[in-house]
Amino acid sequence: MRNPRFVGLLLVAPALLAVGALFVYPLLFSVASAFTSKEGQATLANFARAYELYSVDIAFTLVIVVTSTLLCGLLAIAIGGYLTLGENARAVAILKWLYRWPLFIPFVVAAQCMRTFVAKNGLMNNSLVSLGILEPIQTTSFLDWRGIVITFVWKQTPFVALLVAGAMASLDRSTIEAARNLGAGRLRILVEIVVPQVSSTLVVALILSFVTMMSVLSVPIMISGESPTMMTVDMAFRINAYGDYGTANALGVLSYLMTGAVAWIYLRRGIREGGRP
Amino acid sequence: MTALAWLPRAIVLGLIAFAIFGPLANLALWAAAEQWYFPHKLPVVYGLKFWHQVFKPSSDALASLGTSVVIALLTVAVSLALAVPAGYALARLSLPLRGLIMLAFLLPQAFPSVAVYINVARIFYTLGLNGTIAGVVLVHAVHGLVFAVWIAAAAFAAVDRDLELAARNIGAGALRTFLTVTLPLAAPGIVASAIFVFLESLDEFTGTFFVGVPDVTTLPLLMFTASVAGNYQIAAITALILLVPSVGFMMFVERFLKADVLAKVGA
Amino acid sequence: MKRAFKLATAAVVALGIAPAGAMAQKITLNVITAGDQNMVDYVKDYLGPIFQKSNPNVTITSVGTGPGDAGSQKIAEKIMAQKDRPTWDVDVAVIHQKMAGDLVQAGLLAPYTKDIASGKLVTSDNSKLALGAKVEGYVIPMFNSQTAIAYNPALVKNPPKTYAEVEAWSKANPKQFGYNGIKGGMSGVSFVVGWVYANAKDPNKLANGPYDMMEKASWDAALARLKEFNKTATITPGNAGTLDMLNRGEIAMGPVWVDMFYTWMADGKLPPTMKLSLVGPGMPGQPMYYVIPAKAANMEAAKKFIEIATSPAVQADGIVKKFNWYPGIDAQHVKSQLDDATWNKLFVDVTPQELQSKGKSFPIKQYFDEILEAYEKKVVN
Repeated sequence: MRNPRFVGLLLVAPALLAVGALFVYPLLFSVASAFTSKEGQATLANFARAYELYSVDIAFTLVIVVTSTLLCGLLAIAIGGYLTLGENARAVAILKWLYRWPLFIPFVVAAQCMRTFVAKNGLMNNSLVSLGILEPIQTTSFLDWRGIVITFVWKQTPFVALLVAGAMASLDRSTIEAARNLGAGRLRILVEIVVPQVSSTLVVALILSFVTMMSVLSVPIMISGESPTMMTVDMAFRINAYGDYGTANALGVLSYLMTGAVAWIYLRRGIREGGRP
Repeated sequence: MTALAWLPRAIVLGLIAFAIFGPLANLALWAAAEQWYFPHKLPVVYGLKFWHQVFKPSSDALASLGTSVVIALLTVAVSLALAVPAGYALARLSLPLRGLIMLAFLLPQAFPSVAVYINVARIFYTLGLNGTIAGVVLVHAVHGLVFAVWIAAAAFAAVDRDLELAARNIGAGALRTFLTVTLPLAAPGIVASAIFVFLESLDEFTGTFFVGVPDVTTLPLLMFTASVAGNYQIAAITALILLVPSVGFMMFVERFLKADVLAKVGA
Repeated sequence: MKRAFKLATAAVVALGIAPAGAMAQKITLNVITAGDQNMVDYVKDYLGPIFQKSNPNVTITSVGTGPGDAGSQKIAEKIMAQKDRPTWDVDVAVIHQKMAGDLVQAGLLAPYTKDIASGKLVTSDNSKLALGAKVEGYVIPMFNSQTAIAYNPALVKNPPKTYAEVEAWSKANPKQFGYNGIKGGMSGVSFVVGWVYANAKDPNKLANGPYDMMEKASWDAALARLKEFNKTATITPGNAGTLDMLNRGEIAMGPVWVDMFYTWMADGKLPPTMKLSLVGPGMPGQPMYYVIPAKAANMEAAKKFIEIATSPAVQADGIVKKFNWYPGIDAQHVKSQLDDATWNKLFVDVTPQELQSKGKSFPIKQYFDEILEAYEKKVVN
């Protein structure tokens, strides 16, 4: 009882058990089926097939999710930076009120909003045409991989910005003031002083976003047709059209490896900081 | 002069507002459109025809909304019950393989879940959990647990240790210190994590289908079917209804989103 | 509680000792429908009330699983997951052809057509064979549907009549032809299958068998041309996506389901000027099937439900008149129930003769899978 490690494990146990019983255990069936042929033999054929059929989509999934994650990060830094360093109280208040909205909107709803918004003759292009910014002939549809990126960025930026702005707000302001007194510009303060200090929160927020985006099915299926599309769509198709769980699960394992790589970044970060907050 | 100085700011803020509210306005327009076809930039006929369709007596939109909210609230309760002890341990006690434990909670988010839920359903059928609210709640709770645990851990980490020590010094026991000092101080952060769990639950339909249908149907399930089938009006109306609990919950929870807790999420 | 009750009812029925009063007790009949929302609504708002008039003790729940084979797959998985339970929570399912064959072979469906009156009213080929698999006795088509090319006459003066003309038109009008590939629903799948039919040595062999492993090599040239074609085409998100882009003027032409086309037009979601063309040599169509899972908890109520749903009166008024589908049971039984004007409305753009000569069925399962996979391998990736 007095051993803190034991108590700690005891406290974590219910949550870990829940994940273990309700996710890891069923997951093992999936992973096993990725390495099993239809006849029940161990094989890597499912991975070969996944690569043969979906190499383009696998690459594109990475491109889409990495691009979205980076854009989320940049926008979130910009938003958080302005909230922290902005000099006009009213503009800061307006921005603070504005940016959070998409955070509270489920992905299904976001996808539904976007699918009619970014279409060729959707509300976005129509508004731009009416304002005279675009000519009707210049309008293009974004209902492809760009639409997916737009939706992801729209939905996830507020989440990253919320965490990053929180971290920035709890920084020690004296270094910022000191730099300001020495005449440093706001951009320079943001890049050289603020961002390095919140990098840990930024990384965590981006990891959570990356992982969430990897596993969302509704957005790619509702926004973009195919060629190229994301692996979740291919997984669903593999199961729906052929009842082929092997290849679908092989894709799942690949997707998990991608998230695993990101998780590794997380662990590394933990070790660098001594594993303790 | 001051007006001029506002111009760039106003433009940027205006663009942000357009980017954020444009898609939502679009949703509202679709919900009120009876006819809308090219080359019309706005709906040709406005009306409530599709609202009647959604809310007609035989429809289960309202019942599903009720189910969705009940499930989401129960999911929050279950997640928090699991996350509070876990979060405390992760923040305050020395745990072996702490990083790996944190990552374990990320797992349900990381693996695309279509294939996994089929196996979950298989297990739940043998347990008699299929077609029950409890089954759906468990599935949702595990999926949203990463937010609950990571944020709860951050909330506990943000509590000033000196206050706990002071309580211990005047003779309070460990449990009493936790209940009277640590937990109340960490409470805002923990409540804040609830919003993410709540949203995860409102967003989820794959697991609901396999574990809940036909006895339990939720609103996102109806919405996804309507949307994939191209019933944009029905989908838009359903989406708007779905926003009511999300935004309502946000209004309640927003005051708990404190900077010092957010700064420590995932640390 | 409800579950326990269902079990009890089923046990009583199974033992054949049902007391007279037991059957009059409240039953919930679970109807699960693959396909678009209109089919779920059809069961809920149209069939449900009709059925309840003669069976007041039965409440109907109608749940949809989404369009395309994905919807059928979910139903199959739901049944598979409870395979070893004494009774299942699905009483009536509406599924696609491909899944019907699989489920019959796996022994997961109950034969029922002999037991109900409307079983005799169906003699069509697709009530006996589904993509080459024997399903006779297990299915009755809810309706038949057909794909065709929809176009906007304002933008397309001379609508194409054949696949070759579609190909040429799309080349001359880049990005104006749109379809949803093969992952977003069956109208795109249908277009691709039609493309292979148009270029195959013997399309009949693909549709009726026998299966020949070597056949697929002969599609390579056609698929290479399809890859070129895709470069000038727009890929839309789903069956509905194609209709929506037609509606929004973003494409001028694309493959659609005939029934969806008419329903969208009636709902004001397509300009009333749009037209259809069933291009030669032909495009596939398919029925949706009513089936009863082998261990349905409410087997007798399920049979009664399907009997009413496939009666000539319901097929005429519900399927043809209200929802613009081609009837599931043999046409002569339905036509006699309707006035000519209503009946002819089905055939405004696509005549019965065209339907006869250019309405194809999907290929047998082996070829079907190979065509889809060849598309993934050679056209998309």
